[in-house]
Amino acid sequence: MKTGVYLCRCSGIISDKIDSEEVQRRLAGQEGIAYIKTVDLACSDEGKREIGEDVFQQRPDRVVIAACSPRDHEETFREVLSNEGMNPFLMQMVNVREHVAWVTQDPQQATAKAIQMIRAAVRRVAHHDSLEREEIEVSPDALVIGGGPAGLKAAQLLAEAGRHVILVEKGPILGGMPVRYEEIFPKLECGPCVLEPFIADVLHGPHAANIEVHLQAEVVEAVGSFGGFTVKIRKRPRYVSLSTCIGCGACMPACPESSANPVNCGMNERKAIDFTFYGGLPNAPYLDAGACRRFKGQECNACVEACPIPGAIDFDEQEAIVERSVGAVLIAVGNELYDCTKLPQLGYGKLPDVVTSLEFERILAATGPTGGELKLSDGRAPERVAFIHCVGSLDPDHCSYCSGVCCMNALKFNELIAHKLHGALVTHYIKSLVLTGKEDHQLYQKVCARESTEWVRYENAAELTVAAGAGGRKVVRYGDDVREHDLVVLMPAMVPSAAVREVSQLFDLSRDPQGFFEELHGRVDATRSKVRGIYVAGTCQSPMDLSHSMTQAAAAAGGILSALVPGRKLQLEATYAVVDAERCSGCRSCVAVCPYKAVAYNEEHESAEVNPALCLGCGTCVAGCPVGAIQSRHFTNQQIFAEIEGALA
Amino acid sequence: MSTQTHPKTAPQRAKPAVAFEPRIVGFLCNWCSYAGADKAGAAQLPYPPNVHVVRVMCTGRMDPQFVLKAFDEGADGVIILGCHPGDCHYKEQNLRMIQRHRLFLRYMRQLGYEAERCRLDFVSAAEGEKFAQVVTEMVATIKGLGPLSQRRRQA
Repeated sequence: MKTGVYLCRCSGIISDKIDSEEVQRRLAGQEGIAYIKTVDLACSDEGKREIGEDVFQQRPDRVVIAACSPRDHEETFREVLSNEGMNPFLMQMVNVREHVAWVTQDPQQATAKAIQMIRAAVRRVAHHDSLEREEIEVSPDALVIGGGPAGLKAAQLLAEAGRHVILVEKGPILGGMPVRYEEIFPKLECGPCVLEPFIADVLHGPHAANIEVHLQAEVVEAVGSFGGFTVKIRKRPRYVSLSTCIGCGACMPACPESSANPVNCGMNERKAIDFTFYGGLPNAPYLDAGACRRFKGQECNACVEACPIPGAIDFDEQEAIVERSVGAVLIAVGNELYDCTKLPQLGYGKLPDVVTSLEFERILAATGPTGGELKLSDGRAPERVAFIHCVGSLDPDHCSYCSGVCCMNALKFNELIAHKLHGALVTHYIKSLVLTGKEDHQLYQKVCARESTEWVRYENAAELTVAAGAGGRKVVRYGDDVREHDLVVLMPAMVPSAAVREVSQLFDLSRDPQGFFEELHGRVDATRSKVRGIYVAGTCQSPMDLSHSMTQAAAAAGGILSALVPGRKLQLEATYAVVDAERCSGCRSCVAVCPYKAVAYNEEHESAEVNPALCLGCGTCVAGCPVGAIQSRHFTNQQIFAEIEGALA
Repeated sequence: MSTQTHPKTAPQRAKPAVAFEPRIVGFLCNWCSYAGADKAGAAQLPYPPNVHVVRVMCTGRMDPQFVLKAFDEGADGVIILGCHPGDCHYKEQNLRMIQRHRLFLRYMRQLGYEAERCRLDFVSAAEGEKFAQVVTEMVATIKGLGPLSQRRRQA
């Protein structure tokens, strides 16, 4: 085997410390070294040309380049070799600048160390294999799970770029939570007004043809990996045709059955066939089979008879499973609120007019149970309203974190109360107040300027109690502080929705200790999950406000657009792990240690298998394999042993 | 049960040489510790030349065989440097290495090696000074312990 060594002088930085003649004298002819040449500045155009021409003439089997850190220039020299028709992985770099010349004071010691390191590299490189960076075909299409703000934003951006998007939403309408809010903080913009243009764009915009919307649908099965996922989507029947229904609402008054309305948290009833709420998009009612007489075996045709469009209502619609293939997945399934009954001292679920922030949103909403009129359960207008902040938040017994959103939401509520009921006293029970960014503080100042606002600071929610008082009032007690209110609004922490757990199991995604999706990196890659090709956005990743959700969704769309480009194949890392199926004992230790779900056990072959599209080459499975059945390409035991031998020879 | 240690692996401390220069192999992860060593270089922080650095992508790749191999080939000490817990480029693979290191130290004690000969530490990409310090300390530690050169001894 013919090995060529190039020793960079680095314009004197290396050669002032390391005696190249001594290196040549000590190593020439040893260890299969055919030649040792010095280059003045290997990474310069001149240096690269010099090495390239020499490699072309000498045709070495292996090359060692003693220069700077491989972190700087390994790719540079790989390219030089590639250009000369040599496999770029048949090269090893020796870091004689950062690890020797710059840190070793005595030139003799520096030279001796450089010689040892070059010897180690020469021995290692002899075991290098020619590796290819394989390329695989990928699908540029994307699946978006969740039709809330984040999902809509991403779907819209991806469709605009010409990508085919499959949008799967669990509910009967699009828009998620904020579309149900009368106003959105910090500027008190109307929620539907902000979101409906997005929804309309997704349903009927110039790029809507690229978006396939599945409502009342869930992903029930997922296989494959980055570039090629295949998913099964279960679509529940709506019993109302979205293509023919004109949204006139004639069916509703005709319907004789009602049931609790989920969108209004059960505070009023809806007909068995009814809109989710007026203005919800797509503009078509849905039929709740659980409430409809026909599905209880009774004779009823009232809605069909009232409907002016023949065939728009179809009782025979069946559940359907559709299968789709995509290259990437964005998960934006949102959040829920912390269960306030876990703090029984606050009276939620036991006392009337103790409500959650979501229930209060609906009470304020024009499309809500009271038509937007702020009134108590007995119909009176409240004169004193209390907001208990941080319910379940910053509390080691409940949620240790701060959701960072509820403070602003309570301030928004304060303003809406002031607009609706002049002179109503608003009391904020606060533990902490979080007002960030360039806009939040303005709303706070506005609220502070109102004489009808008062603040009570509390430390521990366990010592705060809400009890029934005279005349339907609620008595809120914290230590010596006792106040009476007509309405108590609890501001619970944001917690992961049940869908987070379901979807995490489906795609084998990890969740953080709080139960949210775990991102690849909290600061620099918060929109990528740990599984390549699966992105997360919005409040299923972390509590956040609308602005952050939208931004994160746009970032995820950008990530998908960059990762999967039509016509471009996916280039895999050359240095992934490979399993020798013959040696694999099937213990699955490797499956357990892989953080990227790149190793799976193939029952049919009775062996672990590494998916090169997912493996990032960390080598943990290799070290963890008890029978030595896994090899880390370019970091094999043989190569590392050879380096150790050379270093200590 | 015999308390005699296996002759091949029994530590037999050679007589302290006049100027004993320990030979140490350092296994560094590519993302934090190797970058930290590069930073020590860029900052031109002097440290003793006794450590030969073997780059691995992640300390999760660390196979206890590498350490045994180094001792077998004549190393007097081994350092394993990875990302700080929580900072691993591959999420948590350095934690696997911590587990393996703990187990390996028990094995070392059974072999009769001093645990200090296999040091595990964490050096971030920014910690050039810490890298130089860990190397300097390790060299001093091994100088104190004396050589462990099996191959030369057996020859």
